[in-house]
Amino acid sequence: MVDKKFEVHSETGVPPTKASPDVRLEAVRFSYIHPETGSVEALSDVTLTIERGTHAALLGRNGSGKSTMAKLINVLEMPQSGTVFVLGKNTGDDSAFWQIRRSCGMVFQNPDNQIVGTTVEEDVAFGPENLGIPTEEIRRRVDEALHYVGLSDLAKRQPSQLSGGQKQKLAIAGILAMQPQILLLDESTSMLDPVSRDEFLAVVERLVKEKNMTVLHITHDMSEACLADRVFVLDHGRLAMSGTPGEIFSQVQKVRSLGLDVPVFAELAYEVAARIGYPLERQTLFSRASALAGIRKMLRLVPSGTHPSGVHPSGVHPSGVHPSGVHQEAAPEASPEAASATASEAASATASEARSEAAPSAAQQGCPVVIPAGGRTVLEVSHLNHSYDKKNEPSLIDISFSVKEGEIFAIIGHSGSGKTTLISHLNGLLRPKDGEITVSPSAGSVLLNTRKNADVRQIRRVVGLLFQYPEYQLFEETVERDIAFGPSKMGLSSEEIKKRVHDAIILVGLDESFLKRSPFELSGGQKRRVAFAGVLAMDPDILVLDEPAAGLDPTGRREILSYAETLKRRGKTIILVSHNMDEAARYADRILVLKKGEVHALMTPAELFSDARKIRELGLCEPETIACLTDLQKDYPSINTCMFRVGDAADELIRAAAAGGAL
Amino acid sequence: MMKDISIGRYYQGDSILHRLDPRAKIILCFLYMIVVFMMNTVEGILATFVVVAFLCVLSAIPFMTILDSVRPIVFLLLFILVLNILTNRTGNVILEWGILKITDIGVLTAGLMSLRLFLLIVSTSILLTLTTTPLLMADSLESLFGPLKKLRVPVHEMAMMMSIALRFVPTLVEETDKIMKAQASRGAEYDTGNVFARAKGYVSVLVPLFVSAFKRAEELAIAMDARCYRGGEGRTKLHVLHMQGKDYFWLILLSCLAFLLIIIDFYVKIR
Repeated sequence: MVDKKFEVHSETGVPPTKASPDVRLEAVRFSYIHPETGSVEALSDVTLTIERGTHAALLGRNGSGKSTMAKLINVLEMPQSGTVFVLGKNTGDDSAFWQIRRSCGMVFQNPDNQIVGTTVEEDVAFGPENLGIPTEEIRRRVDEALHYVGLSDLAKRQPSQLSGGQKQKLAIAGILAMQPQILLLDESTSMLDPVSRDEFLAVVERLVKEKNMTVLHITHDMSEACLADRVFVLDHGRLAMSGTPGEIFSQVQKVRSLGLDVPVFAELAYEVAARIGYPLERQTLFSRASALAGIRKMLRLVPSGTHPSGVHPSGVHPSGVHPSGVHQEAAPEASPEAASATASEAASATASEARSEAAPSAAQQGCPVVIPAGGRTVLEVSHLNHSYDKKNEPSLIDISFSVKEGEIFAIIGHSGSGKTTLISHLNGLLRPKDGEITVSPSAGSVLLNTRKNADVRQIRRVVGLLFQYPEYQLFEETVERDIAFGPSKMGLSSEEIKKRVHDAIILVGLDESFLKRSPFELSGGQKRRVAFAGVLAMDPDILVLDEPAAGLDPTGRREILSYAETLKRRGKTIILVSHNMDEAARYADRILVLKKGEVHALMTPAELFSDARKIRELGLCEPETIACLTDLQKDYPSINTCMFRVGDAADELIRAAAAGGAL
Repeated sequence: MMKDISIGRYYQGDSILHRLDPRAKIILCFLYMIVVFMMNTVEGILATFVVVAFLCVLSAIPFMTILDSVRPIVFLLLFILVLNILTNRTGNVILEWGILKITDIGVLTAGLMSLRLFLLIVSTSILLTLTTTPLLMADSLESLFGPLKKLRVPVHEMAMMMSIALRFVPTLVEETDKIMKAQASRGAEYDTGNVFARAKGYVSVLVPLFVSAFKRAEELAIAMDARCYRGGEGRTKLHVLHMQGKDYFWLILLSCLAFLLIIIDFYVKIR
């Protein structure tokens, strides 16, 4: 951790000195051949340095060249021009090849596709076996590595019996047994739930601290990037930013224009500054503590007794855009597509924050209870019990709830809490042996029951179900035929099918030019949208979405979730399965907390998160906005902490400050 | 859930046969195969029956589980029995009815043939499939066929392929289940309509399954590359197969029994 200065494009041509850094890229270019567009430049003129013992994060949109960079370091690819030095050795040097590769361990995104061994310990042994290490030494290393990541008890298990988090820890153990110096993590946490993710990251942190390992962590998660010592941002193959997390995330607009998010605390400080027209200092955004200190300082400047919307002298506004207080009234329905436009980036992102059904007025005391729109029950689960086989523990215990028309109903819970089992019951994929599920479609007044064989076909049309990672279910030759698969099973006329396919593809933000293409040549995010469209084309009343945004970059996440809101406005009912607390709180009307197969809470986000003790009991984490507001509440006791959108939270802060009461 | 799927028919246990070095078991398995086919006398077959029964006791596997392994070939056994009885026309006639003629030698050969097949299945199950995990089998085949490497037979690669295939069976089974559920949610039906409609239903499962299997293979190859895999050369192993005293003891004892059987059969025949 020698220099923490910016060093974008500034150090070309410096030969490695004696104390050479662990990783050094010099003017590296790499392009690969794409079947349609010809040669695509994945990295162009990238120069960067990572010192020993540094935890570096690599950010960027999907397709910005992040994975390519990791592969260049691990000599899985060679640069077309420029040089990559690893541990002072040139990756182009054949004699250094094995030495470099054995000193770089790499953990990939999909836990399943990197496990070779038939048992846990066999898999850890795979690397050392390849290196030709004597058997006794392999034994010692395997035991040590498994102990280090906490999997010793599972040494004899089959990999398929492990959870996703355990599989990724196994991958780390397999690398540790090779005793590398550099650890490359290629979106290794993106398929994990929050608890497994924290455990995984804790292991990584320990490796940096205890073993002085150098880590390059490719991620889409900004809170993970904040754990790093250095952050690099790639954009279209170029190194766009480089610095400490504080230096990076203080440039809120630039970060957003690169398709990334900023941490909630930085966004909140930025929004408050925007509202009172205060020029924000960079240092304010370096950490949560400094952001909160900065917010306190700014709030002291708010004159008592002022109305929040009257506080922005437009001239000194730091970003040059209108404060979002204005947008809140003017553009409550701002289109999500606008979020990608760079110019109005900050403004529209704020507007999307504010795009709630009715922005809660600032003056309310206590948490508001949002009564779901409509009120007609469209789906009812009563006393549902389920177990996969008699010996095991039941996976669902006495589940009862009803979903109202037009609401976004979130189901949250850790992996293994029974979420997937529960939603598989909702459209009759699993049929209840004990308990009942009834569906009331908008057309006709019949009540459908998943227990009745005759009803199941009808139920699958009314309840559309989109599983996790749905892109794996595409199979037709063209996108059009794939989307039409569902509707054509419903016996619709060909014109009707055509119309539905068209509507569906537009709704998910793609255009008609995609219809004739093969789904297999699309990018991951586009495939996800096509799969989404395939369910939408069946025009279901109720849409069950299982982690629809999992594994996407921040822009993709926002867009996919915005479709859920669009659908809600069209009168659809959405059941959203998630383990992301911030998202559930922000989008859902009601939240059902599932824990070990039981319903532990069913309430509005405001009710749920107003009770800090209850949240801890349920093993959930607070949304970041609430955590920030709770801290500031010490100074401004009148703050209502139940705010899930950053824009609302900033408004609330200013209202509380204007009302007076700073201690 | 299908997570705990078992591959092959391995029966968890800790008997003498379970612990015996798998290479010894493979050798013995071949030896007993040959012995069973060499038996031509009633005495020889009966003696073999006794020895195989002894192996069953050594394996400590419930009797019914062992019989289960014969179930798939019950029809074949009956077929062989009936065919031999009806076609063998040498020896003394016991029963004659129209063109049907059943002789004593016919019944005897038929009995011997089916008993032989029965013993063959039981002895291979006991010695190999029921007491050895597929992974150990792959390992020991690599070790036994090791000398073929000199003839450039890719023994290591084949064993590696076998063990990776075993590793991915549960993963792909789980994935098949997931895809079938996803397509069923989109209205696919697998159990209605005629043969063509059903086959078409399965296309929607097989295509994504193949696509994903290829993707997995590609990613796995990169992951193996990243972990310095470079074929069998210079590779060491965590679990090295070691023939110990007790392995030699049982290998020799059971081989002696096999030879004893051959001698009994031979002696009875020349008498």
